[in-house]
Amino acid sequence: MTERDLVQPPPPITGPRSCDLAEVLERVLDKGIVIAGDIKIDLLDIELLTIRLRLFVSSVDTARRAGIDWWETDPALSSRAARDALAQENAQLRERLHALESRMDPDERSAIGAAAAEKGGGA
Amino acid sequence: MTPPEPPALVYAFAVCRGGDLPGTALDALDALDVLAELPGLPELPGLPGPGTGAPVRTLAAGPLTAVVQDVPAAGFGEAALRQRLADRDELERCARAHHAVITAAAALAPTVPLPLATLYLDDGRVREALGERETSFLSALDRIAGRAEWGVKVYAPTGPPPAPQTASEAASETSSETASAVGPGSGRAYLDRVRTRQRNREQRHTLALRAAERVDAVVRGLAVAARRLRPHGVEVTGAHRTHVLNAAYLLDLGRERELHAALASLRRDETDVQIELSGPWAPYSFADGGIADGGTAP
Repeated sequence: MTERDLVQPPPPITGPRSCDLAEVLERVLDKGIVIAGDIKIDLLDIELLTIRLRLFVSSVDTARRAGIDWWETDPALSSRAARDALAQENAQLRERLHALESRMDPDERSAIGAAAAEKGGGA
Repeated sequence: MTPPEPPALVYAFAVCRGGDLPGTALDALDALDVLAELPGLPELPGLPGPGTGAPVRTLAAGPLTAVVQDVPAAGFGEAALRQRLADRDELERCARAHHAVITAAAALAPTVPLPLATLYLDDGRVREALGERETSFLSALDRIAGRAEWGVKVYAPTGPPPAPQTASEAASETSSETASAVGPGSGRAYLDRVRTRQRNREQRHTLALRAAERVDAVVRGLAVAARRLRPHGVEVTGAHRTHVLNAAYLLDLGRERELHAALASLRRDETDVQIELSGPWAPYSFADGGIADGGTAP
């Protein structure tokens, strides 16, 4: 008598509203979703659905064709935004380097400059 | 860097063939206008201005027609959407409104559902976007015309919770050969019990998977296309059962009776699993939002 589970009443065949919602969401959100983020759906205090919503299709291109491009500015979602972030960091580092260099004595600086010139980096 | 936001955006629900929706003319538009009064996208609380309840309308774009609605940009911008769709009630409202319009359109003509929250800057952008994907929309429409999607889910009951079981199992196992070698309270007896339980569970799961394959084979035989969807987790199914098959099938209209008969017979034969049918649905799983043009998935 280990199969007590079989005695459990089967769930109603035509699901209640909650089931219905899960099915609607399943279809409405299936690969069609354009929104990124984590969405939790709780119904009747039960966690019904945990849908991890990431970009909806394989490429940002496809999504943009769908008319939406706001994620392009979000580094977590867009490689381009990530690149921009990188560029920004790069610029900040350059600035700091410049500031540090300007504090060195002239001999040292010219030595570094010569080394850089040797490597083919002008200026 | 972001361009100035226009006051209104165009929300696109679905795409139909050009001749189809205007062909049914007033009826179609009337039906869709009624939908604008549904508690849904148009009636969002906290939106500025009286700009709610814009009618759902059709928008001709070459050989295609889009089913669209003007929505206030304030409620459908990035931040607003992110926030709203993270809210369960709002998500439900948006999904249901989206679904309601698509269902209404699909009742009138072959319809390719578009993704939730497909927003364009204006009508011109809708036409442009539809034009770019014209071929795939048209072939998707060919594929789904005269057909509907049905969902079949197969569940396996999971074992009873281990805690109440251990007592009775321990009692029944005292007479078994393992118990003769070691006492019922010993570590080895415990491990044996755990192993047996694990094996039973695996066996049951294997049987359920096989049953699911049989169900799939039967329904696939009736369908022109089939797709496996991701099984639901316990959050959806509840702890007392696991999802072993979540599939969508594209069936010619008029085969419902066969489908129901097949499922009735499957339910009689496959007593180890629960089989659920849902539908008919607009062909969400087979239209690809007009994005892919790859024909029917295997």
